[in-house]
Amino acid sequence: MSAALHAHPESGPVLGVAGPAKNRRVLSEAGHRGQWWRLVAILAITAIVLVPIMVTVVLAFTPGPTSTATGFTLENFGSVFSETLASTWLQNSLVTTLSTVVVSVAVAAPAGYVLSRGRSKAVSGYSLLLFVMQSLPIITSVVPLFILFAGMGLVDNLLGLTIIYVGSTMTVATWMMAAYFDSIPISLEEASWIDGCSVFGSFTKVVLRNSLPGILSTAIFAFLLAWNDYLVAIVFLRSTEIFTLPMGVQSFFQQNQTDWTSVMALAVIMMLPPVIVFAALNKYFSVGGIGGSLAGR
Amino acid sequence: MALTTAQTGLSRARRGVAPGGAGRPANRKSKLTAQTSRTFFWLLLPSVILLVLIHGYPLIEAGVQATHDGSLIEAGNFVGGENFATVLSSPAFWKAAQFTLLFTIVGVFGSWLVGLGLALLLRTKIPAGGTFKVLLLLPWVVPIVVSSTAWNWLVATPDSLIPSLFRNLGLGTPLFLADPSLAALTVMVFKVWVSFPFMMMMISAALASVDSTVYEAASMDGATRFQQFSQITLPLIARSTYISWILMTIFCVNDFPTIYLLTGGGPVDATTSLVVLAYRTVFQDFATGPGVAIAFLMTMTLVVVSVLLYRQIRKSSVE
Repeated sequence: MSAALHAHPESGPVLGVAGPAKNRRVLSEAGHRGQWWRLVAILAITAIVLVPIMVTVVLAFTPGPTSTATGFTLENFGSVFSETLASTWLQNSLVTTLSTVVVSVAVAAPAGYVLSRGRSKAVSGYSLLLFVMQSLPIITSVVPLFILFAGMGLVDNLLGLTIIYVGSTMTVATWMMAAYFDSIPISLEEASWIDGCSVFGSFTKVVLRNSLPGILSTAIFAFLLAWNDYLVAIVFLRSTEIFTLPMGVQSFFQQNQTDWTSVMALAVIMMLPPVIVFAALNKYFSVGGIGGSLAGR
Repeated sequence: MALTTAQTGLSRARRGVAPGGAGRPANRKSKLTAQTSRTFFWLLLPSVILLVLIHGYPLIEAGVQATHDGSLIEAGNFVGGENFATVLSSPAFWKAAQFTLLFTIVGVFGSWLVGLGLALLLRTKIPAGGTFKVLLLLPWVVPIVVSSTAWNWLVATPDSLIPSLFRNLGLGTPLFLADPSLAALTVMVFKVWVSFPFMMMMISAALASVDSTVYEAASMDGATRFQQFSQITLPLIARSTYISWILMTIFCVNDFPTIYLLTGGGPVDATTSLVVLAYRTVFQDFATGPGVAIAFLMTMTLVVVSVLLYRQIRKSSVE
């Protein structure tokens, strides 16, 4: 019977095989026809969703109210750099964010290794502690830290800002690193132990060396968090020359008449780094990674 | 992918296999264990120091401040539960709590529905599907300071683009940020706009691991598309849906910039969430005690909720 089936695949519904074959054809046809409205729908949705971002970009290149230029212009960028402290703000943001990224990974990677390989009560207790701490509102820590840092001269100070960013990224970063280390087979390390390598040695030489995607995805997470932060900055930064970009952008709204074209030029400068980082390293970063690291461990 | 790797890690933990692996000679294991715990201690130390400094100490200190009548400059006197009594009896607190709850519910389910819809749309082969996926992530990637500026430009005044559009269509001139209930709605729509890409990514990752032959089998059995969706797709992505709801709840409750940058909590406190209220109480009204008490009440609620959720996640991943 099966031979007959193969010989005559179209021999009719009696054999009970043409059913699915027909169904599959119907399905794929539906899928083909469906593509049309799907493409239109996704185009329309994307266009609507991106309106605020397109508006930002268009205004940034539009001549300002006092300008004589017409059409597309770069003068908003020129004026934002010459008339405001934009270059200082950009530099402050870059320094704070990059230090946060480096220190977060340097703290989270070893801790994540212990979370991944350790099986004691203390380690799982610590893991629960990290989970609880990451879910707490930063506003609670901000007031006591403000008072503590004020006594140490760390208010209105980029180092103080960086310490808080590292502290607040560290919890999730540790989970992300731990989840990644979980995927590195222990047998690789065992082999190095037999060769006389210490645990620390196998961590740096075997595990870390194979963890570039995990490190990158943790770094992107820390980057986005530090670069985009507003709450810590508004509490801790006072003087305009210490501002990071979010505070710089906001400072435009303190004046009576908002200079929209300039603020949008600065906004474009501010959104470029995260967009570039994300576009370039997108494949290393999965939100599922964050969710998974919280869920699976 | 990350989900599965995490699960492997967990299944290893569940079987109780030590880092050394099974079948390792006992003497070598114990030697290694002593060395291991010493190494583990040093590897964990920086993280513990930071956790104590940035999370532990402030939490305890917040408890102290909440029971004192101090300010940002001086510690003040012990007043017991007075700040909590003040806060709990103030209508502003309950109004903010109510708004936070509504904001969270709309934020979580709104972004989930939009994210789910888009993830399902993008699952099928669409020309340039990958490009759309990256473009649709932009609201989540772009800093809130930037997007709130753009939203402000679009809706803030009666002459902004969207109100004029409504006017030209003969729909009146909606005051998106000046009318209390409309402002609350605008803030929530903004939150959904910011958050849906996160949900889309979570759901896309979960959908990618669903075997498509399941659907073929189901359609063979005559299941309608809706049945396939509700009885196959939803249960298969339930776990990651659950996780994404938990994370988004935390994001929404703790959110500050989305609300503060768009409306500053106004008009007439219509969009004041608990975080915004705590911030304003401390840094604008200079009432440190009550402000910290608000933050402390939120924190305690979230500690209880997140410990319960952590247990629940662990339980659900063991099943």
